[in-house]
Order: sequence, then C-alpha cells, then structure tokens
Amino acid sequence: MYFSDIGIISLILALGFAVFTMVVATLGATRELPQLVASAKRSVLTVAFFLILASAALIASFLTHDFGVSYVAQHSNLAMPWYYTASAFYGGQEGSLLYWALMLSIFSAIFVFTAKRAPTVLVPYVMATLMGIETFLLIVLTTVSNPFVRLPVPLADGVGLNPLLMDPGMLIHPPMLLMGYMSFSVPFAFAVAAMITGKLDSEWLRSIRGWMLAAWSIQTLGLVLGAWWAYHVLGWGGYWGWDPVENAALLPWLTATAFLHSSMVQERRGMLKVWNLSLVIASFALSIFGTFEVRSGIINSVHSFAYSAIGAYFLAFLVIVIVFSIGLFIFRLPKLQPEQEFDSVISREGSFLFNNLLLVGAMFATLWGTIFPLISNAVRHETLTVGPPFYNQVDGPIFIVLILAMGIGPLLAWRHTSTRALRRNLGIPALAAAICAAVLPLLGIRDIWANIAFAVCSFSAGAILYEMWRGVRVRHRHGEPYLFALYMLFERYRQRYGGYLVHLGLVMLAVGIIGSHFFQVQQDAVLKPGQKMDVAGYKLVYFGNIDRTYPDVEILTAQLQVWHDGQLQQYIYPGRQLYARFANQPTSLISITTYGLTDLYVFLANWNGPSEATIRVFVNPLVPLVWLGGIVMLLGGIICWWPQRRKRSIPDRVGAGVVLGGEGTLASPPSLSNDNKEATT
Amino acid sequence: MRKRRSLLIFLAVAAIISSIWFYTFLISPARQTLDQRVHDVASQLKCLVCQGESVADSPATLSQQMRGVIRQQLQSGKSEQEVIQYFVSRYGDRILLSPPWQGLTLLAWLVPIALMLGGILLLFLVLRSWQSQLDKSPLDADRTESVDIDQNELAYYQKQVAQELAAEDSVFSRPGSEVD
Repeated sequence: MYFSDIGIISLILALGFAVFTMVVATLGATRELPQLVASAKRSVLTVAFFLILASAALIASFLTHDFGVSYVAQHSNLAMPWYYTASAFYGGQEGSLLYWALMLSIFSAIFVFTAKRAPTVLVPYVMATLMGIETFLLIVLTTVSNPFVRLPVPLADGVGLNPLLMDPGMLIHPPMLLMGYMSFSVPFAFAVAAMITGKLDSEWLRSIRGWMLAAWSIQTLGLVLGAWWAYHVLGWGGYWGWDPVENAALLPWLTATAFLHSSMVQERRGMLKVWNLSLVIASFALSIFGTFEVRSGIINSVHSFAYSAIGAYFLAFLVIVIVFSIGLFIFRLPKLQPEQEFDSVISREGSFLFNNLLLVGAMFATLWGTIFPLISNAVRHETLTVGPPFYNQVDGPIFIVLILAMGIGPLLAWRHTSTRALRRNLGIPALAAAICAAVLPLLGIRDIWANIAFAVCSFSAGAILYEMWRGVRVRHRHGEPYLFALYMLFERYRQRYGGYLVHLGLVMLAVGIIGSHFFQVQQDAVLKPGQKMDVAGYKLVYFGNIDRTYPDVEILTAQLQVWHDGQLQQYIYPGRQLYARFANQPTSLISITTYGLTDLYVFLANWNGPSEATIRVFVNPLVPLVWLGGIVMLLGGIICWWPQRRKRSIPDRVGAGVVLGGEGTLASPPSLSNDNKEATT
Repeated sequence: MRKRRSLLIFLAVAAIISSIWFYTFLISPARQTLDQRVHDVASQLKCLVCQGESVADSPATLSQQMRGVIRQQLQSGKSEQEVIQYFVSRYGDRILLSPPWQGLTLLAWLVPIALMLGGILLLFLVLRSWQSQLDKSPLDADRTESVDIDQNELAYYQKQVAQELAAEDSVFSRPGSEVD
C-alpha cells in the first residue's frame, strides 16, 4: 500500500461526506430538525479530516520520493531541497486544487467551530453551500485532475519543479493567493444562505463582514507577495505588469474592497442590500473566473506553466454559480427593500457610493482589458495585446480619483455634512497638497502627472493623519498621554482606525507606484573587467564573472562594486542559475540593494566567458514604500478584523443602539466635538 | 466673517495648486531628454520575441536594435507618434502594447469610458430619486425642527446616554472642556 492509495481513498470519502453534508444540512434546515444540522456539522469536520489526510499523503509521497506517482515524478526530483520538494505539493495544477480543497475544508471547519457567532438559521445553508463548492472541487480531483494517479512503471528520478518556482517566494506566495481565492467562498456561502432564508439583518452583516475582511486581508497579502516575487525573480525592474493572471487576482480584491465600504452603509442605514449581495457574489464569481483563466490558458500570460484541460470544468462551474445566484436573487428581490432613506449627497453614504463606482469601474475596465484580446481574436482573427499602457491610462486616473475620495470621504458625517465643517476639515490636507505641489518642481520634478498624483497622495495622507491627530488631541485633553491616546483610539474604534491605517498603507503604496512609474532610470551596458557605468548617481565597477558548479545547478555571478556619494558602498553579485534539467531556462539572481527609499536593481542580462557581462541597472525610487504600504494595509485589515470584545448588554432605549453601534462617528466624544454633531443628533 | 475667510483661504490654496500644475504642464514637454523620449516610445511597443514584455523592458537583441532605431528616428526629428506609426506599418497592430484608437479596437477604450460615464449617470439618477423621495416624505419635512419633548424626560435620556458612554470608554467619564 502506497501513500497515494491512502490519498485516493481519502478523496473519495471526503467527496462522499461533502455530498452527505449538503443533503443533510438542507434537510435539517427545511424540515427544522436540529439533529440533522448537528450531524452536518460533524460531517463538515470529517471532510476536513479526510482532506488533511489526503494532503498529508501527497506530502509524504513527495518526501519519500515516490516517483511511481505521476504528479510527484513531474514536480520533484531527488536533487531538490526538502522544502521545495514539500512545496511542490501546490506547484502543479492537481496539487494546487487539492490545496484549495484543503483550505476550503479547513475554513469550513473554522466556520463550524465558530458557528455560535453566526445567525442560527443561516448555519445549515452556509455549510451546504461550502460543501457544494467542495463537492465540485472533489469531483474534479477524483476524476480529471487526480494528484495520486500512478505511473505504470515508476521513474528512477523525477523531472523537477519549474526553476522559476524554486524561489523562497514559492513557499509563501502561491499558498496565500490560492487561499485568498478560496476565502471568498465563505462570504459567498453567507450570501446564498441569506438569499435562501431572507435573513439579511445586522447579525448576518456582522458575520459576513468578518469573513470578507479575512478574505480581503489574505488576498491583499497574496497580491503584495506576488508583486514582491515578480520584482525579485523576473528581472524587468518592475513588480506589476498587468499580466492577465495578476489582473485576475486583482478583480475579486476590488469588488471585496467595494463591499467592505458599501456594507457599512447597510450596517448604519439599512440601504444597498441588493448591491452588497451582488458584490459578494461577484467577488466569488471573479475568483472562479481567475482560476478558469489561469488554468485554461486561453489568454497568454507569464503564468503559462499552469495550463491544462480542466478550464472547461471551471467554466461550467462558473456558469452554474452565476445562474444559481441570479435565480436566487430574482426569487428574493421583493424582500430586499431598504429600511432607511437617503438624506444628502454630501454625506458618508454618498462618498461610499462614489467609492463603489470607482472600484467597480476599475474592476470592469481591468476585466474588459483582460478579455478584450479574446473578443478581438474572435471577431478579427488577429492577436492583439492589451498591455500596461492601456491599464495605466484607464486605471491610473481612476485610482488617483479614488485616493482623493479616500481623503475626503472619511471626513464626511453620516446623513449630512455642513459645508462649513467640511471646509475646516479639508483646510489642512489642502495645504499639504499645495505644499507638495509647490515643492516638487523645486526638487526638479517636472512631470505634471507625477505632480498631480503626489499632491493627491499628500492630500489624503494629510487628511488621515490630521483626523488621527484630532482624535488623539481630544483624548489627550482628557488626561491621556499622546501615545496611550493613540493606542486607545485603535483599541476602542477598531474598525474606524484600522480603516484609516489601511488607507494610509494604500497611500504609501500609491506613492511607491507613482515614484517607480515616473522616475525609474534604466541603463544597459556591456562591461569588461575594470570598466564602470554611471546610473543616476550610482557608479558600478565590474570585476569579472564567478562560475560555481554544483551537481544539479550551475550558478554564474558577476562581481561588481557599488559606489555612491564618492564612497564604496558594497560588492554585489547579480547572477544566473542554470538547472541541469532546465538548461534553456536560466533563472535570475537579481541584486537589489536599498539606499534610503531607492532600490538599486542590478540584473545580469547576458555574459560571455569569465570576463564580459551585459548588465542592466534600474534605479527604482520609492519602491520600498510599496512593500511597506502593503504591510501597513495588512496590519490595518487585521485590526479591523480582530474580534471586538462582546459589549455588555445595554437596554435598547432612546435608540442608543444607533449611537453606540460599533465603529463610526465616535472618534471623539460627540458631546465634545462639534464635527460629529450632525451625525449623532 | 470667519466663514468667508476660510472660504477665501480655501480658494487661494486651490488657485495656487492649479497654477503650479498649469505651469508644469506648459513647461514639461520641452524638458524631456532624448533618453526619456526613447523610453516613452519603447514602452508603447511590444517585444515580439518575449513573453509580455515591452521593447523598453526587454533585454533581447531585437529590442535593443529597435531601441536604436527609435533613438535614430527621434534624433532625425520625427515625433513620437511618427516613430510608432513606422513600427506599425512594418509589423502591424500586434506590435502595439495597447489597442490603437481606431476601428474595432477603439471599443477597448470606449467601453470602460462609457461604463464609467454610465455609472456616474446612474449614480446621479439614484441619488436624485432618493432625494426626491425624501422631499416628498411628509414625516421628514420638519425633522430639523426641534421635537416637543418633556424636559425631565430629556434630562433622563441625556443622563442615560452619558452613563452608557462612560461605560463604553473612560474618556467620556471625565469631565472635559469643550473642544474647538
């Protein structure tokens, strides 16, 4: 008996229990039999158990080098270090699907364990939906895409992992992104459950928001890690190439972001129910679309190592998801009436609507650009590229307006804001923008678009920091030291200040993107030993190439000195790795050194013997801010998500529930600050 | 008075920003170096022998040669648009990294713009219909007026709110001065 046999048996059993859960949970809910629901819960845990077992079996097959398993033979070999061997688990299509199914079952199990927090009526339907998705994955896994299929004759050694994947980023980027895709399933399950039961109240909203925040944070991390990996591995000096697969990962993130904002309108005002439901469904459908796009290979992409025949299955599943959701939607539409009415365009609600327009607009533009080559190919039979210039020109302005709106929106009160309060709040940020716009030309930055973009960023950063400062000042006047006051703000109004932190991170990220987009300096040179090149204040002196050969891999590096400000900074060794089995795919060892906020990015483009090298140098200003901004965004997301202590029950008189309802207008005590009066009276 | 002053300051700041932008807009094209212009053109063109890279980014020999051609042509006085046109006439539309503004591919640009404009229109209509519902609603008409309420009752509720706020956050329990 091989480990792979255990794997196959586990998969089949998991499939059986997933189908069982769907049936039993639905029966339990419709016939109102709590025993059946309890049984469904245990069954979900059983599915998780069998998927953990199947995954363990696959990892064991990898680590024991069981090359009788086709998947193991294709994605690993004896020479690979154990950690890449283990991570080859998700290095190919079958394994990454198994990983997806595993994560879905674990999230489902977490849902079962925390089911007490969710509205009771919804629980069986959420489980049924999750297990419906799981059933689809398990059907694919046990039929067309089985990772445990054995070869008639075991190989002596495997082929090995694609060298591009043999990178530390491999250990963390694919699992995060796949987990991000998967995690949109839980909000979707909540949406389906809400449409079936008609329960879309605040309790439902709190649950779904929590899961959506988790999904959003994971996807944010996945996207930033993907950018980081591209930057460190691909060698073209950038981190985001608007590749179709990157776009596919961005799309659900955009709709999820839109949902996180518009759901606050529902939380506070009971409006936009239909819209919020569609955003949740869209996020899930887009994550399935992304998988379909990556796997089907219908669109050219740098992720082309993932092509296969299961694209059709995902397309069919996507169609089922969309038809099913729209059917439910139409069935439930009469019940989705707003509870409260709209007051004023200049209000928090109004700004959230505008925010949603921009995010969904960016999503549509990106989606359109991604699928346009297909349309053009079908109509004109001509392959056409929709590349970075398109997205920069279409999405760029949208994102800049979004960042501007991000500065103004949080300053608006719910329902209605007086123009006077608005002007007072906007004074400082506008001043920050003016200073930025005036100082940049003095520093030699002449590009008009860069100037506008930076000014908008300083406006938003100014607005956020000023808002935080006002909160801290109010608390400080009541006797709290500044740092403690800041801590208390984050502690008490987690969603609001976590949100500000996310916004601040996004501004940092935007500054990094703008800086590297407009001010990247690039230079190529063919160097002989002793020759040097000058790039934007950095001097590189070339000494020669070093060639090291290991049993499985040949590593060739160029040795260079970096001089800056008249001083020797350090030696750098950009190079190439040639894996014996993938001789035609040399991977890059890029040398990235950070001086302040500027990256010196050195790439060995070509070499000739021991004493000639073609060096390509990028000076990338502000790129470190992209990573820093990503970390800040993630931190903010986690702060928002972190479960709040249960409030002591307060008798719901005087509509106190409205005033105290979680996050919102209570940054400073309403009785103490004029700014929030409109919101609370 | 104060209100008008803040408005004036606000307008002044806006005027300063827009004049700086206008000034940079006027002078910026003239200041571009040849390197920047070559990069601008090269980043619009697709490297035909690589996977998803522009001529500006690609280290391939073909791209290197193309960058040389771009530099020559720009030096000889051609405009950016003319250089791009030259490459399109030799290689066809597939050399372009973004769809050209003509024929069917114009759709690639027009659809997002149309959707955005449609979205703005939709948003405007939705907001207007919400607002008109609000105007019609008789209950809401006098909401800004003070509601008749027994003073004792009011004081009771205010006390209640203060207590609950104090339980919520220690800052509310301390007697504090008015802010601003």
